[in-house]
Amino acid sequence: MEINKLERYWLMAVGITLGAFVAATIVAVTVFGIRLPAPVERIDPQRLDQTIFANPGVRKIADNRYEAVIVARSWAFDAGPEAGNPAVLRFPRGSQVTFYVTSKDVMHGFQIEKHTLNLELVPGQVARATANFNRPGTFHIICNHYCGAGHQVMYGTIIVE
Amino acid sequence: MASITYPQSVEPPATPGTLKLVKREQVMIGAHIIAALIALLFGIFMGPFQTFHRSPTFVQYFPTIPVFTYYYQAVTVHGVMNALFFTTFFIVGFCYFVTERSLQRPIKSVPMGWAAFASMALGLVLMLFTILTSPQQSAVLYTFYPPNIAPALFYIGLVLLALGSWLASANIFLTYRDWKREHPNERVPLAVFAIMVNFIVWCIATIGVALEIVFMLLPASLGILKVTDPQLARTLFWFFGHPLVYFWLIPAYVSWYTMLPRQAGGKLFSEPLARVAFVMFLLFSVPVGVHHQFSDPGISASSKGVQTLLTLVVSIPSFMTAFNVGAALENAARNRGARTLFDWPFKQKWNDPVVAAQMSGMLLFIAGGFSGLINASAQLNATIHNTSWVPAHFHQTLGGAVMLTYIGILYWLLPAIRGRALFSKRVALAQVFTWLIGMTLFGLAMGEAGLQGVPRRALTSQAPYLTPAGAFWMDVTAVSGVILLISSILLFVNIVGTLFFSRRPTPEGEVPIETVSGDRSSPLWLERWGIWLGVIGVLLLVAYGPVVAEVLDFQEGWNIMRFMPTSNAPMP
Repeated sequence: MEINKLERYWLMAVGITLGAFVAATIVAVTVFGIRLPAPVERIDPQRLDQTIFANPGVRKIADNRYEAVIVARSWAFDAGPEAGNPAVLRFPRGSQVTFYVTSKDVMHGFQIEKHTLNLELVPGQVARATANFNRPGTFHIICNHYCGAGHQVMYGTIIVE
Repeated sequence: MASITYPQSVEPPATPGTLKLVKREQVMIGAHIIAALIALLFGIFMGPFQTFHRSPTFVQYFPTIPVFTYYYQAVTVHGVMNALFFTTFFIVGFCYFVTERSLQRPIKSVPMGWAAFASMALGLVLMLFTILTSPQQSAVLYTFYPPNIAPALFYIGLVLLALGSWLASANIFLTYRDWKREHPNERVPLAVFAIMVNFIVWCIATIGVALEIVFMLLPASLGILKVTDPQLARTLFWFFGHPLVYFWLIPAYVSWYTMLPRQAGGKLFSEPLARVAFVMFLLFSVPVGVHHQFSDPGISASSKGVQTLLTLVVSIPSFMTAFNVGAALENAARNRGARTLFDWPFKQKWNDPVVAAQMSGMLLFIAGGFSGLINASAQLNATIHNTSWVPAHFHQTLGGAVMLTYIGILYWLLPAIRGRALFSKRVALAQVFTWLIGMTLFGLAMGEAGLQGVPRRALTSQAPYLTPAGAFWMDVTAVSGVILLISSILLFVNIVGTLFFSRRPTPEGEVPIETVSGDRSSPLWLERWGIWLGVIGVLLLVAYGPVVAEVLDFQEGWNIMRFMPTSNAPMP
């Protein structure tokens, strides 16, 4: 089977384009340290009181390093009594925050505006991801996965000072 | 060519090539296309209504939007009717017609064809009944993830659709087998080669969603099963959900490869490479579904990486198509007098709705294809996952390339079925170009909104978190909705006009379907489907074996289905 010369050039160009995408992915992982969510733990969404999700909230674990434990339910993010409802979380500029999030009822989403953090909250699974807050400002936490009639009012706020 | 003997009971097909359909074709193909258009009628108009619902400015001036007042019901109708029912009916009807005319024999079993149709049509009726009578409970969108559980009829409707489509697949496979027995050393015409690929992909892909519905969702809906596993359900759904898009796309490619060159006045550049492209679709359509689950917590980064690479591979046949079909169109333009390097895109039959629709679809597919590569890149996905960028993407591919190509097909097939000329060529052209403009604007606005963090499938006009920039782009989306609403109305004006009011007979012409393959150089073993099934099996083992083990939590001993399902969340 013969392949026309022009088409061979075209296929090479395609190969280079796709190679660039693969290279970009490798750079994203190795240089920028962007990680995809990966299995942490499976838990029973009806027995969250026996897990770290019994007491949601923000804990400081080192200088500029925090852990935020958040429970998503229809239709709010519960980040503890201090954060209130809708939840408001405050971090100083330059913080690195690791989020542990799960859902206690249906599918929810967890996305932070203007940051590369985007999690599917699957009931029964603990989702973990880390964000660096280097720019001051107000960023919403948005439930981006359809979760019923009140989906559009499910959100929280992160204030970076 | 071996002589073909037709069963007594079956009317032989019309003279090859003629646009006049015999009665049997008219009834069978017509039934499928009409059922597809009924599904489309419900689905298509929900699109603009969603853009209105989502726009803060629009809602401010029109607080109550008529027809479907519950936004998430409109989303469900739009997805289920357009993406599942319209496409399946249309593809089955179109592929029967192409197979019959291309192989010059009727489909293997007409009664089986009607059984398949009856199953799918009953599915359509049950689905419409469920969504329209219980808007709250059935608003599970077309992805129907548990623990949200819809009424049982919702799932039964889907099961009937799948059953019918499997019967239709079997019918096409058997027709091909009969032809092959009579022509052992011939290459099957390219269109039927692609159709074989399409229905093999479909039969493999639907296994995932069938398992999900039959063993998880339907029992949960009937109250037999008290528990469910959302991570497993999502994995089974996307095993089906991504190959599904190729099931839509390949029939459009059938038109681009085997019909458009002739319709545009040119010749296909390379038929052997077209076959290679379709074999690549066959192999790489299925083991890529996890790229919809990059943000899922239950699947490891390495499994996601493997499927990222495979997803990039499945873009290659589309790049090959761009070259091959592009060259055919250039050839057409040269025949029409194009001389310079860049004048050939303009010297096309832009005044012929059949050609203009397909070429407009290709234009949108450029944006759709590249945005798809962005989505498929695991890390880039984190910025746009579940934002309105995603519907922007698939409205350039499905709503653009696929839909406009189906419309282009409809503009010659519907007149042939009805035996009357197209109601209005002018209306058809206006429809095509308003669709092109509307969908371009829609893609731009939804894509920009997505980059601003606006989520998909959310009633954004009532969202407290909507930023001014997000609100602006949602308003622009509503403008595109108005344009697309006009285009949709024009489409149905032509459909109704052609069916009921057109008085002129079908113009003398030919169906653009080849009956013999012009290909003399591609290897005959490309048609050894058994080999390809073996390769697919290996690829699935590599790509999905680890995923299944992770999702089932194999290390801790198959912990599946241990969570309570909840029914739809109550109103606020």
